[in-house]
Amino acid sequence: MRKIISYALLLLAVYGIAGCSKWAEEKANIYHTVYLPGKTVSDAAPLAGSIKGTMQAGKTYTIDSDVYINQGDTLMIQQGVTLNFKNGSGMVVLGSLFSVGSQAAPIYMTVPGVTRNDAPGLDPTTDPAHQGLWRGIIGGTTCPAMVLKWTHIDFAGNPEGAVIAKNPAVNESAGTSFCILFQNYKGYFVMEDSWVYGGTDDAMRISNGKVHIFRNTFEKPGGGGGGDCVNMKGGTVGTVAYNFFIATAYNGQKLSNKGQPAGAPQANVVMYNSTFVNCGAQVQPGQRGSTIDYEQGAAGAYYNNVAINCRVGYRVVNNPAADTTHLSYGYNYQWADSLNVADQFFTWGPVCTIPQTTDLPLPSSYLPAGWNYESPTATYDGGTSSYSGGAAVQKMNPLFVNYPLPANNHGFAPWQNTAIGSFDFRLQPTSPLIGKGYTGVQPQVVVPLDLTYGASEVTPPGADLGCFQSNGKGNQHHP
Amino acid sequence: MAFRSKRWLFLLILLFSISNVFAGVIKGHVADGRTGEPLAGATVHIRSGDLSMTAVVELDGSFIFKRVPKGVYEMDVRFVGYGVVEEKKVTIGSDESVDVENINLQEQGKELQEVQVSAGGGGSEGARRLEHKADIVQNILSSRAIELSPDLTVGNAMARISGVSVQRGSSGEGRYAIIRGMDQRYNNVLVNGIKIASPDDKYRFVPMDLFPSELLERLEVIKTLTPNMEGDAIGGTMNLVMKDAPKDFLLTANISGGYSTLFSKRPFNAFYHSGINQQSPAEIHGNSYQATAADFSLSNLKYHDISTPINGSAGVTFGNRWLQKKLGFIISGAVQNFYRGSNSQYIIPDAQPNAILPTSPYYATTPQQLSVSDKYERHYSTQTTRIGLNNKIDYVFNSHNKISLYNFYVHQDEFQSRMTPDTTLGVNSGNGSYTMKYENRSTWTIQNIYNATLQGSHELSSKVRLEWTGSFSDAHKKLPDQASNSFDGGVVYDSTGKNTVKNDSTGGSMTRVWAHNSDKDWSGYANLFFTPAIAHRAVEFETGGMYRYKTRDAYYNQYDLQAKSSTQEAHSLDSVAFVFPQPDKGTGNITAVSGNNYVAHEKIAAGFIQAKFMLTHDLQVMGGVRVEDTHEDYTTNLPFNSDEGYGAIHYTDVLPSAHLKYALDRQRNIRLSYYKSISRPSFSELAPYTYPGEYFTELGNPLLKHTRADNFDLRYEWFPGLADQLLLGAFYKTLQNPIEYFVVRNGPPSSNFIKPQNGSNATNYGIEAVFTKYFGMFGISLNYTYTHSRVTTPKLFYHYVGSTIHTDTVDQTRPLQGQADHIGNLSLLFKDPKAGLDLQLALSYTGDRIAQVQQYVNEDLWDKAYVQLDFSGEKRLSRRFYFFAKITNLLNSPHQLYMKFPYARVQEQPLSYQSKSSITIMERDYYNIGILGGFRYKF
Repeated sequence: MRKIISYALLLLAVYGIAGCSKWAEEKANIYHTVYLPGKTVSDAAPLAGSIKGTMQAGKTYTIDSDVYINQGDTLMIQQGVTLNFKNGSGMVVLGSLFSVGSQAAPIYMTVPGVTRNDAPGLDPTTDPAHQGLWRGIIGGTTCPAMVLKWTHIDFAGNPEGAVIAKNPAVNESAGTSFCILFQNYKGYFVMEDSWVYGGTDDAMRISNGKVHIFRNTFEKPGGGGGGDCVNMKGGTVGTVAYNFFIATAYNGQKLSNKGQPAGAPQANVVMYNSTFVNCGAQVQPGQRGSTIDYEQGAAGAYYNNVAINCRVGYRVVNNPAADTTHLSYGYNYQWADSLNVADQFFTWGPVCTIPQTTDLPLPSSYLPAGWNYESPTATYDGGTSSYSGGAAVQKMNPLFVNYPLPANNHGFAPWQNTAIGSFDFRLQPTSPLIGKGYTGVQPQVVVPLDLTYGASEVTPPGADLGCFQSNGKGNQHHP
Repeated sequence: MAFRSKRWLFLLILLFSISNVFAGVIKGHVADGRTGEPLAGATVHIRSGDLSMTAVVELDGSFIFKRVPKGVYEMDVRFVGYGVVEEKKVTIGSDESVDVENINLQEQGKELQEVQVSAGGGGSEGARRLEHKADIVQNILSSRAIELSPDLTVGNAMARISGVSVQRGSSGEGRYAIIRGMDQRYNNVLVNGIKIASPDDKYRFVPMDLFPSELLERLEVIKTLTPNMEGDAIGGTMNLVMKDAPKDFLLTANISGGYSTLFSKRPFNAFYHSGINQQSPAEIHGNSYQATAADFSLSNLKYHDISTPINGSAGVTFGNRWLQKKLGFIISGAVQNFYRGSNSQYIIPDAQPNAILPTSPYYATTPQQLSVSDKYERHYSTQTTRIGLNNKIDYVFNSHNKISLYNFYVHQDEFQSRMTPDTTLGVNSGNGSYTMKYENRSTWTIQNIYNATLQGSHELSSKVRLEWTGSFSDAHKKLPDQASNSFDGGVVYDSTGKNTVKNDSTGGSMTRVWAHNSDKDWSGYANLFFTPAIAHRAVEFETGGMYRYKTRDAYYNQYDLQAKSSTQEAHSLDSVAFVFPQPDKGTGNITAVSGNNYVAHEKIAAGFIQAKFMLTHDLQVMGGVRVEDTHEDYTTNLPFNSDEGYGAIHYTDVLPSAHLKYALDRQRNIRLSYYKSISRPSFSELAPYTYPGEYFTELGNPLLKHTRADNFDLRYEWFPGLADQLLLGAFYKTLQNPIEYFVVRNGPPSSNFIKPQNGSNATNYGIEAVFTKYFGMFGISLNYTYTHSRVTTPKLFYHYVGSTIHTDTVDQTRPLQGQADHIGNLSLLFKDPKAGLDLQLALSYTGDRIAQVQQYVNEDLWDKAYVQLDFSGEKRLSRRFYFFAKITNLLNSPHQLYMKFPYARVQEQPLSYQSKSSITIMERDYYNIGILGGFRYKF
């Protein structure tokens, strides 16, 4: 056993060194390619068509119909700006976008005059979160950089429509309706301390690109018909960490090497310290995951994550198989109020998720001896699970500051409770999740480090499990 | 019977022993004056005073009178449907043998010169007789040959022709011809020498399965083009010559019934189509209307079984000639109602293969591994109802001037249910528990074509003739409310494979499609013939032009509904609450605004000049040049600033050709041809459309270029007897910008799309052989074509390089899509003219060919070699009544698609019927045996 651990550590160390060398290469490059045009965008009249320049701090801009940042152009959005999208319009980014808010003055991209309704059990077909009231941010294959910091993306998910979908640099189907789309493996995508509320399909689709997705909050991402939240495909590399998810439709963080473009790198993303609450609203166990999913040919690592009452646990797919030789994981925690959640900690179907001795609660405490992790069959509990997870129900209460478990689900399924509201998912000092984290995993830094044009902070893996750290690091979205 | 054979034996002995000793012999051949086809079963009478003898023409066209006393005889020849050749005088002495050589019968009305416009070189010749008399390389299948063949439609009969294989629809019926390995796009289809509008939503040319063979006089396959023919045929031209007004009174009728044995094993699944709305919600209420589930009837997703569906077909043809034979008239009608289907099993490949780790022993041979996402079974049940009407009126003013009006109408309704039931296992699941994806789809397809052609022919002088044609055709296809419903069901199997638990269905989605397209052609042709004698040799000059204005429009509106809850269990379709995930997605603004909705025009102007003359006594030269000018435009209903939203294309082609025919002797020719030709992309390919096909979603490509080809042809022909023949040929083609469908990715990375694209230059060459030999009542007919084509296109290669997976681009050389290396036909014929018995056993072979080019290297989908054995027979019951029977697909040969990847290495073990270890069968369709029997009446 010790041998295995030391090998694993050696592997991770090699991995980490590889990550560092990437950091050195990329950082120097990007500074020269992007500059800020010295021109302001006027807020005097509603915007439409091609735009570029700087949206000035604190101003409110109205977008009447689709706006385009053309190839070679840059749009800089300063802190405190509000963008009101009308008539279901959206923003097409063929050049560079820097939306740089701050904790004190975040940026809002939203529709005017719509209020949230976060009542439990709300019908998705009537919930304004899932109506797709504007198109969202649609990145093209020519977009070299998209940076979102302290930015709210609310109520997006209107289909791209024929004109945008037909743009050769977008090339999607007209019905595509992601809140954020990025698709340039030579470009980089930075998202820090931001929020996505609602959606109709995948909240974010990273078709390919260099990513840094840190400390964000996703509420009700996906739609009534499904959708993953941070959905990354072939040609995506980077790190996704410290994100908070509540009530996703499908997965919170998903990686697959599907669609790897010729010349693009293999999908390889390191994920750590994310928290998933009530996720998987539209998931049928046996078919999909709800939290973290590694699929066809995907490599990377996932550690230190927390899943509370999610429909399906962490999932490594074996048909078509993830790149399991280049995928490591452990130190992941799960909580179940009830048997049907505990039954899916290790789900059945085309998966090969190996229970780790570092996982919490300890898998051997509830899995039957000799349980086969390769394509498990649902023969227990009425053909819904590959084991009976009674022993895993309500084990190791994480002791959140203000979210008592078992949760009050108001008579609904857990995933029908979609609101963060005044809950506080930070850990009490006595939480059993404190100090259980594995800090040996190395982030893959593939984007430039810069307060405006790149990543502000690559938060290293935390000592505590989940996205909120007792040392105050990690996700900053808390009461 | 015993008595009969004894009598035969006796006669035989008698003939051998005495015939040549005591009397003379009169022998000869009888053939169709137009096609040169031997008219087996025709009767030959000789009379001299009270002495009268009758002989029946044999299978090879020969007849013989033996032991004929010396004298002078009146001879006449009769055959149903043909005129009578009378009062031929034959004088014979004792012990003399007289060969009257060929007697050519004209089909009724056929001595009236048919007006032919650009229909293959022979337009100036009154009776183009035999294939080997033609100026060009062609094959002809007469209506009689189709009638006697096991084929029910023109589409299937095509496969009997040398060098032709067919592309079949989902019920196994031939739709388009692949000529010499060239896909349907490279072959044009003419009706009476005129190109008519096509109802097909994708293809330019009319699908052959729409034509009941009843209406057909003959089918011509022309493999080399002359300047007076339209230049858009690289493989060849299929010309359907419809029935012409007769010389005398004509009445024929037939009725038949049949059955497909497929439906003895399972019922025919029929859907209710009475409640179908012909128009979509957006068409009725406008594009802003927000549709809800209430706008969609569920009745067409409900099914009932028909346990023993009986096929039927009937046809009648009537013709006559009045006003001192100046006014000719014919009308034929055919009604067909067929129930067909197939049982199919599929393995669905993932959009992307898997990469094999370098440490695996298989890495060296197959670093890229086929990945399978699902397997399932499908049952198709297709009811086809077809009505065809054919009418021609001609008026002969005098021997120099005549006009004709031709009308053709066909209407077809096809009701197809596609059920994907729960009899096979899902793959994308665990070892013993499966999530099944059920799908039911109901499709009603309406197609019709109308064509009117007015033609005239005027001999302006003894050396100058003018022919003109005006033609209008209008074709429609309509898909009112194609409905499909899919839902999940969990199934658990125990170790024996027995289904132990079945959950109720969950989730579900429903797709409704309204689509229609129309194609309208106006065309005019004028050809001038000038036949002076230059240096004492007849020279035939021909010049002419044509103009065609075509309008095509297409409409497509698709609604995607979902169950309100993807996890709620439902017990019946009615209890599922379907919604649009976003209300907007129910409006026509989203569902009906796309590149699929377009209006396109095509204006083709062409002119040519050609000459034909005998350079020496034995060498015929024919050559000239054609110029075709093409203007195309399309406008979609996409918003103004949409990329590729509208466009126009213009090009001009100069197409020279030369044909040499050298007669070695009366029976043998050598031909050498060169011609340049083109192939235009279809309108649906040029419009920026997105259309969900049977296997992949298809995308248009407005940047597609037309294909240009240089074609060379060499052929040796030997006709030792009237019906016996030996043909040996070779062809060579080079294609610039060949159009091939590649699988591409677009948008979501887990979906595959196919898109027509220009490949690099391609070559296609091959050899052809036809052999026919008759031995008395037995005949054997054999044809074989070897084709070799190569094109190189880029493919993706998904593999490990060191420890990471790479997607690289590599070039792969392969045959053209649809080209089989080996195709052939073997027919055994038996014909007893005296008993009026015809039997035919026909075997058709199509070798392996690419069905679909895929995106990744070595993952092309291949059609497995296909052998079909059919039987047909006809028995004369009385002078005018015949019984006929056709049994198709005697071997119940499966149609199979495969990938060249060892099946043992496929992750989940694929379907159980894998037969060869080096490949993986991806699809297998069974059509079962079809039986048809009926009666035919000929006046």
